[in-house]
Amino acid sequence: MLGKASARGLVGLLLVALPVSLVGWLVIWPIISAVQRTVWRASPDGAGHFDLSSYVFFFSDAYSLNNLSLTLWTTSVCAALLLVVSLPIALYLRFARGRLASYVQALAILPMFVPSVILAYALIRVLGPNGLIDLLLNAAGLPKLRTPYLTPWGPVIGLVWDNIPLTVLILLSGLGAVGNSAIEAARDVGANRRQRLWHIILPQITTSILVALSFAVLGIFSAFTLPYLLGPASPEMMGPYMQRTFRDLNDPVGAVTQAVVTFGFCIVFGLFYVRSVARNQGK
Amino acid sequence: MVGPLRDKTMKRRAFLISTAGTAAGLMLLPKLSFAAPGQIDWYTGSDANVLDFWTNSVKPAFEAAHPDLKLNLVNASNNAGIQAIGERAVAAMQTNTDPQADFFEQADPQLPQGGIEAGLYVNMKQAGLSNYSKLNPLAIDSDFSLPYRGSQVLLAYDTTRLSAADVPKTWDALVAWIKAHPGQFVYNRPDKGGSGGNFVRRAIHQANGLDPKLFTVGNYTEAFGNEALGKAWELLNDLAPSLYDNGAYSSGNTQSIQLLSQGVVVMTPVWSDQVLQAIAQGVLPDTTGIVQLQDLALCGGFSRCVVLGNGRNREAALKLADFVLTEAMQDAVLNELGGFPGVSWDYVSANLREKFADIIPNSIPTFPSGAWEAAVNDGWYRNVAPAIDRKS
Repeated sequence: MLGKASARGLVGLLLVALPVSLVGWLVIWPIISAVQRTVWRASPDGAGHFDLSSYVFFFSDAYSLNNLSLTLWTTSVCAALLLVVSLPIALYLRFARGRLASYVQALAILPMFVPSVILAYALIRVLGPNGLIDLLLNAAGLPKLRTPYLTPWGPVIGLVWDNIPLTVLILLSGLGAVGNSAIEAARDVGANRRQRLWHIILPQITTSILVALSFAVLGIFSAFTLPYLLGPASPEMMGPYMQRTFRDLNDPVGAVTQAVVTFGFCIVFGLFYVRSVARNQGK
Repeated sequence: MVGPLRDKTMKRRAFLISTAGTAAGLMLLPKLSFAAPGQIDWYTGSDANVLDFWTNSVKPAFEAAHPDLKLNLVNASNNAGIQAIGERAVAAMQTNTDPQADFFEQADPQLPQGGIEAGLYVNMKQAGLSNYSKLNPLAIDSDFSLPYRGSQVLLAYDTTRLSAADVPKTWDALVAWIKAHPGQFVYNRPDKGGSGGNFVRRAIHQANGLDPKLFTVGNYTEAFGNEALGKAWELLNDLAPSLYDNGAYSSGNTQSIQLLSQGVVVMTPVWSDQVLQAIAQGVLPDTTGIVQLQDLALCGGFSRCVVLGNGRNREAALKLADFVLTEAMQDAVLNELGGFPGVSWDYVSANLREKFADIIPNSIPTFPSGAWEAAVNDGWYRNVAPAIDRKS
């Protein structure tokens, strides 16, 4: 009996060994090596020494701090907008039936299959200067709107659209756990729609909301293509800034420092996610 | 692909293509294991449009002119691919075996290092090419390579909104025009594509006495850099409020062309080959005009081919090198590739010379890469790009 159990345990360990070692090799090790490379630097004579100068530079450089604050701004605006847009869609899909609902679902999932480069060029054609929106406004005799292209709102619009499917799917799976019976019971005792949402549905999907937001935030924080193509030249988001520092300025230490700072912010959201998953499993 | 400043997105695309190309190449290798006599093994690391040009124009013309010779066009995907084949040729030289390569469409004879000394590349100047004397002296970089196509940054404009007679032809006239027509001009971020990059370099030349020789690969120092570039940032910051959307910078060569094609801006810097191709393909309308500044041109660069000294078909490859400098082929470079001729403009046909009169440069200035490039890019992002708060 005991032998069988331990053999099964061994098979289990072997099964997880591959993903765990991949994560260790491709994720954990690069993090350790990045931190190590930025704080333990080689002197010209070859000897290593403790050196925080690249971090001191980052946090005393107004240009870098501007980029960081733009990244934080973009991420929080996107997260808020995502929740505002995705929650109603998820609620609708959870409770609606029929053909229209499946069309809405297909439409909400569509961005998942559109590569971001194509999305960026499409947005330029639609929202960009003299794009589709401008043409429609002009045809209706209305004045032009100021285009979000090449301003910080360009990447916000693109990133929100790009992240709708994942957010909707996660919220939808959370809503799946909300029983019809609880909602019907609440309706029977006279709770109106808002009360049912606030007191019955939302408390049951807080974990899903947290998970959805931390996924979206992690993706948006390190976004590259959309801020690169739609955003302003300055300030930059951290993704394009890192790439530029590494490739154009030939400054790997600076780029790795920016990456470590970015990682430091992301790990906070990562911890949110891990904690909510752990708490969920503990239940 | 001319110059180090081409679009980064193109590089990424090129990477994808090259990965696929390497896989495809591996499958092709067994077929190419012996150099056939009379078959010139030709390699390119350039973009697909260049390979198309050779496949559709040069190869048929050359094989018709030399019925006993054949061209085997091989895509080496990128410069790294060309270098790898160059290194293979060096190894073949040491073992006195067949390198299975005769001609590189674009290569720097300085690479691999020591190649010239070892006799890897043929000295073109002494090779007795009948067309060598036609070369544009501005384009020659080394005796061991043959400039056969070039491209240069020009200004493209919408002739329906700016007549050819009024188009600015000097830097000062351009600045005056931009300021008189706010929002009608855009250039891209200097690290994201050479059209904007070389516009920024033109401002650097302007701020430093129009003397491109002032900047060399080796002479960057922080003090000189700050002084020379600082003056250019002043010029560019002065322009910023009059640019598109009160100081926005597009994120690449194609994005600038897109803004021009959507009628958003009236004028923008462009690569000569990209704009000629965009006009030919209808991306830009026929009413697009192009002009070069006549006081000092915007920077550009040439693609130079080399012939391998130890190739089995060296003599045939030299015939090919001579052939690409003929008037017919140089006309095709202009007409079909949208490039600049490698020969002096006197050696292209008269009607083309007339057609492109506005863009024939008096000079082809260049700007060093290396430390200067990093300083220009970072300096621009820190001093010019943030001049205007884009959040509002």
